Amino acid sequence: MTLNFLELKGLHKKFGEITALNNVSLNVSKGEVIFIIGPSGCGKSTLLRAVNWLTPPDKGEVCLEGDIVGSSSSKLTIKESKLLNSFRARMGMVFQQFNVWPHLNALENVVRAQIVVAKRNKAEAEAKALKILDEVGLSDKINEWPDNLSGGQKQRLAIARSLAMDPILMLLDEPTSALDPELVGEVLSVLRRLVNNGMTMLIVTHELGFASKFGDRIVFMDGGEIIEEGIPKKILKTPKTQRLKMFLEKLNITSFKQ
Amino acid sequence: MNLEYTIFIDYAPTLLLGFWLTLKIVVCAIALGIPLGLFLALGKRSPFVFLSFLSTSFIEIFRNTPFIIQVFLFYYVLPFYGLRLSAEYVGILALAAFGSAYFAEIIRAGIDAVPKGQLESARAIGMTDWQSMKNIILPQTLSIVLPPLTNQTLTLIKESAILSTITVHELTMTGLMVQGETFRPFEVFIMVALLYWALNETIATIMRRFEKNINKNRNTGSTKNSSAILKQNENIR
Repeated sequence: MTLNFLELKGLHKKFGEITALNNVSLNVSKGEVIFIIGPSGCGKSTLLRAVNWLTPPDKGEVCLEGDIVGSSSSKLTIKESKLLNSFRARMGMVFQQFNVWPHLNALENVVRAQIVVAKRNKAEAEAKALKILDEVGLSDKINEWPDNLSGGQKQRLAIARSLAMDPILMLLDEPTSALDPELVGEVLSVLRRLVNNGMTMLIVTHELGFASKFGDRIVFMDGGEIIEEGIPKKILKTPKTQRLKMFLEKLNITSFKQ
Repeated sequence: MNLEYTIFIDYAPTLLLGFWLTLKIVVCAIALGIPLGLFLALGKRSPFVFLSFLSTSFIEIFRNTPFIIQVFLFYYVLPFYGLRLSAEYVGILALAAFGSAYFAEIIRAGIDAVPKGQLESARAIGMTDWQSMKNIILPQTLSIVLPPLTNQTLTLIKESAILSTITVHELTMTGLMVQGETFRPFEVFIMVALLYWALNETIATIMRRFEKNINKNRNTGSTKNSSAILKQNENIR
């Protein structure tokens, strides 16, 4: 039996009356790029946030390389929450709203967690930050404050901040949804490089074009459940379920109107 | 009304002595009160129910009772429990406790004003709750809470006058004594008022400069917030 790189087992989550996750299980192999699509409120963001236990599910378990990241069966002990933090450091998360730290300049944004969490010394952290900022095309902005950056630059900074922790998995929650259309491309090109470098990624997105081009698998969710999954070409061209058909039709209509 | 100018000169050293004690007491009370306020603010939002209950109770008790009653309780009740402190120390403790309840509420509001995503991104990258607070949330809180903290400090300085009721020889008490000696209330209390005003005005000016400095150094969203709050406060004043 081969060990799965990332395993989500039977995740349940309810927010009051609303079921965000209903018995969701998903296995991810190393290097796989999975796009999660679905109508808003279908639980795709909750699923992503359950992976690093940012929104702990009511039921279920998440395992990374065979180790338990979080399990609903027991309350976290101090040792386990320490362990959870070390897992989180290796699971880079990118948010729709960037969430860069406005009181730190671009370089410090990338340096801070390296020092605080990964316990690197300042020189080492700065060298690494400079290298990564260069990779995401922000080498001329290292002393800039986040408020003076464009949306696309902020999101690239947020990606750089995660990459500096040497993640083995990236979780991206609608990374381009808050961007002006002309800024989407610069973020996608950074993501494309990550794909080419073999990074394992879970991406919640509405960018179907990007998903079909670079995804190894597309997961379609609705009502807190995984309705359909498969390789992009198959799932987008010949959807098996009525719900996915309707979802794709809706997307086509809206893009046509634009 | 005739003014006796000689009183200004004759009793200035005495009043300045009282002023000096007021200054010492207030500085100590703030040095104790702000850290205690921070502790209470963090305690209130702590997941440990006991700590949160304790902090909330402390804040609510000291916020919702008259300061003068708190002072009397500290002064007359503590000795029954074997804690015999001089009036000055009782005064410092009472002021610090009273101030910390307000400081705590200000700091809590400041923490809440930082967008939720800031804490999430800090936790998601592997920081502990405390590391996130220290590195990400509290630095952004500072520029938000500085104006209301200053306001509360000025209030605390004025409240310190109440310590005259438990025989602390601070500025107000000294004023009362000089008035008893000279029977010239106008001259005496004008001097007392001027001294309080001078102290508060100095602090307000310094803090305004400090705020401007922070705003200049960090062109951030949260400081834009703080200048809005600052304007509000100035309107209230």
